Amino acid sequence: MSSCDPIIEVKNLYVNFYTYAGVVKAIDGVSFRICRGETYCLVGETGCGKSVTAKSLTRLIRSPGRIEKGSVIYYRDGKPVDLLKLGEEELRGIRGAEISYIFQDPSSSLDPLYTIGYQVAETMKEHGRVASIKEGIRRAVDILRTVLMPDPETRVKNYPHELSGGMKQRGVIGISLSNKPRLVIADEPTTALDATVQDQIMDLLKKLKAEEDLTVLLITHNMGLVADMCDRVAVMYAGRIVEEADVFELFANPKHPYTQALLRAVPNPMKRMDKLESIPGTVPNLIFPPSGCRFHPRCPFAMDICSRERPPDLEVAPGHRVACWLYTEHGGR
Amino acid sequence: MSIAAEELGEVYEKKVLDKLSDAVIGGFVKIAETLRPGWYRRNKSRVDEWRLMAYAFNRSPPGIIGMLLVLGFVLVALVGPYVAPFRYDTPLQFFDQNSYLAPPGTVISVPNSTLAQNFGIKPGNYTLLLGGDDYGRDLWSRILYGARTSFVVAILVMMVGPWIGIAIGLIAGYYGGKIDELLMRITDVFLAFPGLILAIAFSAVLPPRISAFLESHATIRSLLLTLFALEEQHAGAMAYLVSVVVALWLVWWPGYARLVRGSVLSARENLYVEAARALGVPTRWIMIRHILPNILGPVLVYLTLDFGGVILTEAGLSFLGVGAVPPIADWGRIVYDGANFFPNAWWLVFFPGLATLLAVLGFNLIGDTLRDVLDPKTRRSLEFKLKKREEVVEGE
Repeated sequence: MSSCDPIIEVKNLYVNFYTYAGVVKAIDGVSFRICRGETYCLVGETGCGKSVTAKSLTRLIRSPGRIEKGSVIYYRDGKPVDLLKLGEEELRGIRGAEISYIFQDPSSSLDPLYTIGYQVAETMKEHGRVASIKEGIRRAVDILRTVLMPDPETRVKNYPHELSGGMKQRGVIGISLSNKPRLVIADEPTTALDATVQDQIMDLLKKLKAEEDLTVLLITHNMGLVADMCDRVAVMYAGRIVEEADVFELFANPKHPYTQALLRAVPNPMKRMDKLESIPGTVPNLIFPPSGCRFHPRCPFAMDICSRERPPDLEVAPGHRVACWLYTEHGGR
Repeated sequence: MSIAAEELGEVYEKKVLDKLSDAVIGGFVKIAETLRPGWYRRNKSRVDEWRLMAYAFNRSPPGIIGMLLVLGFVLVALVGPYVAPFRYDTPLQFFDQNSYLAPPGTVISVPNSTLAQNFGIKPGNYTLLLGGDDYGRDLWSRILYGARTSFVVAILVMMVGPWIGIAIGLIAGYYGGKIDELLMRITDVFLAFPGLILAIAFSAVLPPRISAFLESHATIRSLLLTLFALEEQHAGAMAYLVSVVVALWLVWWPGYARLVRGSVLSARENLYVEAARALGVPTRWIMIRHILPNILGPVLVYLTLDFGGVILTEAGLSFLGVGAVPPIADWGRIVYDGANFFPNAWWLVFFPGLATLLAVLGFNLIGDTLRDVLDPKTRRSLEFKLKKREEVVEGE
């Protein structure tokens, strides 16, 4: 990406969860920028803070979680707005209408008591796109058709339990796109689906992205999806972004030891592998996170300074950021 | 997919009750279809679910007994005042001394007199089915009127009290944090204090104000008089009854607040609530459209069970002397007044007590059965049984 017209910019975000066991420092100084029209990926293992980051963008974090500091600058028609400082009502106007979500599990993100058509209509009515639920349901047929729902005229009257997993996810995507949002945050949209349906849904997302001129923030732990969908990737580990790069750059030239280990842990059908490597150790407890670099207890290249000080964000190549001491004068690489 | 009623009929020997409930549901569908063509096609799955619920209900003997008791109670409450042989305040003692504490089955004669005409009684012989009280009032008539009193009090209480609790529970559960803490501590205070005692306190202080209120609001007064089936001159006595209603409003919500809060705490974690938030649906709308309907099952069960509770509490208050005042016919009050003549005039205590027991029992049985019926697992197991039989039939 040579020129970047940013749509959203996260700066220095900190999110804590105040649990009985202690304060969980779930997000610890995350910054990134998404450019208009691209697909930006957040990858990382379970519990590393991908979803929390995504929810923080429109302040969906609820008690016991709290956004401690940072800013989320959203460029609304070119004018920057800080979503973290916006009033609840104004923010509600942005949620769904300009920044929309697709959640992980389609069977639980639909209310079992309402038809799919009603649920599409509901968000449209809330954002003033249609005057009444009735009109919304009529419009929902077209929306369901664009998300390739088979037989939308019938399906619009179906309840979630009458639909298959793939159809439900198409419905969820339909709801999410019904207000023509600028930014869609897809939080592991295919995790709950089987592989063939996954593929169909991702194709659908690609198609819609091209048609509707969307920017997508895709959250996943699936490296295959990353390679398939994304323009730029950020790798998260224990509440921090450890590496960010263009997708080709990241796969070809991973810099951070965690990224390298992660890529080695993914089977590659093109290469002969005797043994799939795993990363030694376990995910750190975020109530008492490791000092310095949070990856150092598991890192094969750990040095003295890694356990003492937080590594700086280094730009090792244009658009390729990595937070690792190895690439400073300490590491000598 | 649900099973259509016709298929059910082939594999399941339907009981008379099933046919009856099919007829009732069918009738409803017919009406809905006439009013809005195409309604049945749109709501077929819902109707099938109703049918299954009815079948499940019909398979529970306690539920049927409860239903009969409650239907009987409601029927008596609705038509009782019109079919009662005498009014609730007719002192038959004026006509026949025998009616004083008359045992059940006493025959009295009313001579032709202007007094009788004033009371609207035709001269002749009457049998006091359940006996008479110390004013010679017909106990049977008073019990019929008493059903109306209990029913109207219960309805009025249920129309407001629980909803206060539901609203508080929704808000506390949904917002959590400090709001939750504050609202639930207030609820705890109310719960810690026995509801009956609080209700006694309220119904002791409220009547003068209620009386003044009714005095100045003629429409409300006449509406309530019609509801309670009381005569205009007893509006003052009715103020006491209305005080009971208001007192019960004030103490009837804490249980609901707790119940609803608990359910909301789990319901709000559903992804669809989060999804609704993420899509910018307003909080009020989420609470009313997405949380409330999803937790309504337990609330509905509790409401039905509680109906009996209100009847019992109201009778209890009257029995303690803070509820209904003479000459209003109220089951609790009849027992209270009759206790003076116990055990000689046992019928004055026994019959109103029995009436209260049956009504409360009816609501309890229905509530218990509803809990099973509203549980989808019960219906699914029924459906599953039917499916299995179908396979057997096809296999042959």
